[in-house]
Amino acid sequence: MINTQDQEELFKLIADYLRKDVICMAIGGTAMMFLGYKNTTKDIDLVFKTERDRLAFVHAIEQLGYKEKSLVALYDEKKRKMAGKPKVYSRGDERFDLFITTVFGYAVDFDMARIAQRVDFLGKHELIVYVVPKEELLLLKAITHREKDEEDIATIVKIEKTMNWDSIIDKAIAQRWKNPWILIDLEEAMQKLKKLTFIPSMHFDKIYKAQHKRER
Amino acid sequence: MHNHMKQGKYTVETFARKQNLSRQSAINTLSRLKKRGYVHVSGGGSQLRIYQISKLPQQPTNGFYDIANRYSTEKLFPLFQHRVIGRYTIEHAIIDGIRIGDARTLEATMHLFRHVTNWKRLMDLAKKHRCASEVQRLYKKARDTIKLRRMPERYK
Repeated sequence: MINTQDQEELFKLIADYLRKDVICMAIGGTAMMFLGYKNTTKDIDLVFKTERDRLAFVHAIEQLGYKEKSLVALYDEKKRKMAGKPKVYSRGDERFDLFITTVFGYAVDFDMARIAQRVDFLGKHELIVYVVPKEELLLLKAITHREKDEEDIATIVKIEKTMNWDSIIDKAIAQRWKNPWILIDLEEAMQKLKKLTFIPSMHFDKIYKAQHKRER
Repeated sequence: MHNHMKQGKYTVETFARKQNLSRQSAINTLSRLKKRGYVHVSGGGSQLRIYQISKLPQQPTNGFYDIANRYSTEKLFPLFQHRVIGRYTIEHAIIDGIRIGDARTLEATMHLFRHVTNWKRLMDLAKKHRCASEVQRLYKKARDTIKLRRMPERYK
């Protein structure tokens, strides 16, 4: 487990060990910590724009003693076979899940106009961390489907009384050809959320219609 | 404690009334919330203090938008929260303004040239981010409209 302060110190340290400037996107628990939804996370999930950026980051964390770890204990077989699976590095109880451009088939948008937050760690080189907006965060949590993800989705929905469901569903629909499970995963997550918040049925209809089109 | 408090702007008096607290208890509660990052205070001195309560703890920003809004006459609404850990200078802000790139941001960025102290740093950063020609173009445009220091000849 790592808390918000330790995470920032760690990123600052990594920036001092980088051999080039790196831009990455924080998703999952890391993004939740940057946005203030929670204080600790099990793993630091980052998405890189290019393989070169990930290599530079891996080079830095390897110097700090992080070792590559197998995905077997962390993700189910379906996820391990998918494109866009991460490389995992750990040291003690801190873990990095490092993706490139896609997260299990979901393409992450690096456009600066669509991020929620940007945190620059200026060390020997620049480590620039973009943070996904809450809607995309919720969608990514629905896709990754780990045990803690459902709790995290519930936390976001409890704090944010109003969610832009249209935007979430539109993002999922836009990516349904590359990621065949995305609408099914999102619908499942939304069904569970119905106990916590009111989600109008028109949003579910939109998902069913898009999925039906995909299947045809 | 925080969950039943509605987000929004309060003075000590309105907060005390809303929460049904005495004035001193309201001050103590707001102080505790401020320490946890839920409250941002503005005013003080001759101005009445206004407490902005948010539903999530907010880290103070110190990035491009703070610098642009401090030095530029054209104010910007942030597209995103920008925080920097390390030394962020005017020169960094000019490069970020160019990279964000919309018309209003560029207008605001022009005013930052007045405060450039290290032209070498600016041009080194511009080369690194492959926007040296954009920096020169924006400088020329800024010099036509704003009173600016001259850029050293070697960087023109």
